[in-house]
Amino acid sequence: MKDQALETKLRLLTLQLENWKKLHDLITYGLDSAKPTISAEQERQFTEIRANLLQETAHILNELGILDGLSGKAMVVLQRGVSIRGVRELSIEDVRRLEAEWNAVFTKLGTIQGQLKSQRKHLAGQNALTYYFNRLFRRPALAH
Amino acid sequence: MNADPVFQDRALSVVGMFNEVESRIVRSLPEAISVLLEEHFDGLMVEGEAALAVDQATNVRQHFPSLGITCLVPPRYDSEIDASAEKQKITLISDPRSRQSLRRELEKFVSSLGRHSSPAAEGIDPCHSLIGNLNQFSAAEILQMSCLSQRSGRFTFKSGRGNSEIFLQHGSVRHAVFGSLEGEAAVAEIFRWRQGRFYFEEGIISQVQTVDRPWAHLLIDNLQKLDETMELVSVPQSLQS
Repeated sequence: MKDQALETKLRLLTLQLENWKKLHDLITYGLDSAKPTISAEQERQFTEIRANLLQETAHILNELGILDGLSGKAMVVLQRGVSIRGVRELSIEDVRRLEAEWNAVFTKLGTIQGQLKSQRKHLAGQNALTYYFNRLFRRPALAH
Repeated sequence: MNADPVFQDRALSVVGMFNEVESRIVRSLPEAISVLLEEHFDGLMVEGEAALAVDQATNVRQHFPSLGITCLVPPRYDSEIDASAEKQKITLISDPRSRQSLRRELEKFVSSLGRHSSPAAEGIDPCHSLIGNLNQFSAAEILQMSCLSQRSGRFTFKSGRGNSEIFLQHGSVRHAVFGSLEGEAAVAEIFRWRQGRFYFEEGIISQVQTVDRPWAHLLIDNLQKLDETMELVSVPQSLQS
């Protein structure tokens, strides 16, 4: 069986991770001194990805219940990475911080994605009857 | 295809609950075409304002003649939009208020996709005069070779999307068929295939004639169309609309 809430979380998480990876690709390109040309099209892509992330991140993190832990880190990346050219002009220290914050968000999202996929796999092996039966008889005992 | 899949996710949440349906969410036309070129999908659902959705779907139709396409649009739209969608074999779903009705409509569309797709069947006879893989030789290359050598016979192409046939007569394409498509539309479809197998049976002639243009014209037109498809993948979305 499929769980609506679980499927929604996975869908949102996948969309967020896709954009988060695309942002990283463009940041990496900007930091690569062997690639001197930054085209207008690349800058447009960067702005579009950033715009999507800016409007969606808070909503998605809230839906996943990790808004408090990650929104600050995500905002640091989005605020410091103004453009590909802007990223190229950051100091080494700022670049390290940017990468560390990006990685913190990416690691957490990746971990949650794995957990949700594991739940989905577990649910796929159940039908509605066994699911509710398990919920009914495997509830934790309440302490009084 | 949905430009705002995080906040406008009514249909996506319905499709996500379907069993045995693999879906991929894309935000723009170039992304959609790039995914469709991988040949893993039988259908495309475009969500958005009616005129824009039908316009984008029509654009996709030019490059993917056999693809099942539906547009999920707000309830009120022009009759002109309806007519142009019908002309391009695009199903319009006027976004119903209830989730149940939406689910029924989307199920109907999804079930219509499975009808003509079948796994690539083998059954290649060793006496066929030419056998190969489409990932090594494209349909354009093998047809060009056969037409130049004035062959007559039947090409059978077998891929995950189904089987199709192209009949040659003295180096010209006489008839082509793929599912419900016939003639030049079927040739255009086969031109895009990059996965599957093909074989040629010498001497099998078709009584039916659905293609009457010379091979060279077909080749140029279809290669040009293929180039346009590839260009769409790289053109920014802002320049599409």
